[in-house]
Amino acid sequence: MTAQAFFIGFFGLASVWFGIVVFRTYSMMRSAIALLFSQTALGAMFLSMQAEFLGVLQIMMMATEMSIMAIFMVMFMMDPGGLGEMDMTHQKRLSLIAGFVSFVAAVAVAVFVDWGPVATTFPDAAQQTVDLGLELLDRSMLIFETAGITILTAMIAATAVAIQPVKKGDDK
Amino acid sequence: MNTLIILVLLLLGAYFVAVLENWISKGRFQLGAPLFAAVAFLGRESFIPRKPDQLFYEVGPVLLLLSAILAAAVIPLTPDLIITDLATGALFINAALVYVLVALLMAGWGPDGAYSMIGGWRFLGQLIAYAMLIVMPITAVAMRAESLLTTQIVVSQAELWNIVYQPLGFVLFFIASMALAFLPPFDMMIAKGELAGGVESEYSGMRLAIFRLGRLVLIITLAAATVVFYLGGWQGLPGIGLPPWAWSAIKILLVTAAMLLIGRYIPRIREAHLLSWCWIFGIPLALLNIFIVGVLVLEFP
Amino acid sequence: MNPEISMELIIALTAGAALFGVGVYGALSQTNLVMIMMGVELILAGAMVNLVAFWRYLHPDVAAGQMFVLIVMTVMAIEMAVGFAIAIARFRAKGSVEMEEAVDLKG
Repeated sequence: MTAQAFFIGFFGLASVWFGIVVFRTYSMMRSAIALLFSQTALGAMFLSMQAEFLGVLQIMMMATEMSIMAIFMVMFMMDPGGLGEMDMTHQKRLSLIAGFVSFVAAVAVAVFVDWGPVATTFPDAAQQTVDLGLELLDRSMLIFETAGITILTAMIAATAVAIQPVKKGDDK
Repeated sequence: MNTLIILVLLLLGAYFVAVLENWISKGRFQLGAPLFAAVAFLGRESFIPRKPDQLFYEVGPVLLLLSAILAAAVIPLTPDLIITDLATGALFINAALVYVLVALLMAGWGPDGAYSMIGGWRFLGQLIAYAMLIVMPITAVAMRAESLLTTQIVVSQAELWNIVYQPLGFVLFFIASMALAFLPPFDMMIAKGELAGGVESEYSGMRLAIFRLGRLVLIITLAAATVVFYLGGWQGLPGIGLPPWAWSAIKILLVTAAMLLIGRYIPRIREAHLLSWCWIFGIPLALLNIFIVGVLVLEFP
Repeated sequence: MNPEISMELIIALTAGAALFGVGVYGALSQTNLVMIMMGVELILAGAMVNLVAFWRYLHPDVAAGQMFVLIVMTVMAIEMAVGFAIAIARFRAKGSVEMEEAVDLKG
């Protein structure tokens, strides 16, 4: 049991725990913030796996995303403060079983597959950033650009869907 | 050791900001005023709202302080005086500063008060305005340094400071960092005359003291970040023989003073107006800045 | 189990599997669109853990492994944008985003 394994396990547990809290609390704000901390723990887990750029990026991106999630939760839920403790779940049994089965299946795959030799050397943080940059703008440029265009399309489409429809005779 | 020195310096800086803010807003220079105010805060009764979300209520101010200190961890004051020289330092500052938003949302939601909640959501609106203007100018800075190391960024400005090399980026970053630290004119979420104190309205005593301290540290951290990214960090003007730390100190204090002074002459800007301004003018300008810096870096290395 | 396999990889994959399981539970059991999206985010988070773990312990020399994580983050952002757009449109039209009430979408 190395220190690295300990930290990965610790942050992994924290992440899963906060992930469970998301669906167990009644307060929507708590739910969103719990998801945020789940993702932040994930970022810390990346950091302990020495993927520094990804870890920091994850911690940064998710804070914004989940805060925006929080405002939508509060906007759209009937009981955002969770004071009424209303039940907002359905087909609970089926979902529990499905979640558990997928967990067990994934763990079984993780444990029983022969992953081959584990790499011992890996690039340091500065080198990783350089490699990633070169990868993005060299070999995988098309994929990356496609992702960028897709985001742009999604932004435009989302705005088009969400925008207030203009009533007839109301166009000033 | 470095950690301790920087923490003490941050405290000193925060004290200086408090003195300066007092001077600017009240018109009197009182060196002891923040100290008395702090003692008074600690001695005052802490009112607790009737139905708080206990966890958020307690964590909010602490998280604000913590994220400001974390952001300061990658800022070099001299070539050696830095807590941790992360390989992704310039990105890490962003990551730490985003948690200011989370802290304000928690502090706004926690007390279960209408004013503080509106204050918190207002800051979310403000974030959507300024966030891109923090990230994009830093991108341009990192492009020139060809590194995300903050020390490397300072070294890259040895010949020409970034404020001359990319003035557009400096202006955008300066405005955005003022919005991030919710300094006037972007202080709609804690303004006394606006929302009866907004996020601060339900806090008192010790917790309010921590909240205010967190904000002061945030201001000084952002000033330090501005110095590192645009004003050449610890490097001095040629011909004046001062040690590196003195240069850092002078520049940080000047930037802080500028940040506080500018806000005094501009009326408050609503976050919706800031939002439209930032997305219609700010982001295209930031992209233009990246483009210009790219051309400069490639054509005149 | 292969004794040479590293403990860290297994731990990371287990954490990813657990996140995936929690996400599946959430996405299936919640009745509110926003909560369902939270479940989907958790599923994607589980995928990200696996990608990083595979990159770090099996192929650290291939930078494309890290790029996959960036793509997953992109997918998360797109999912949020489109999901919230649909939520807003639905809320405008019907006044709620409860999925139980969305049977009227059936033709």
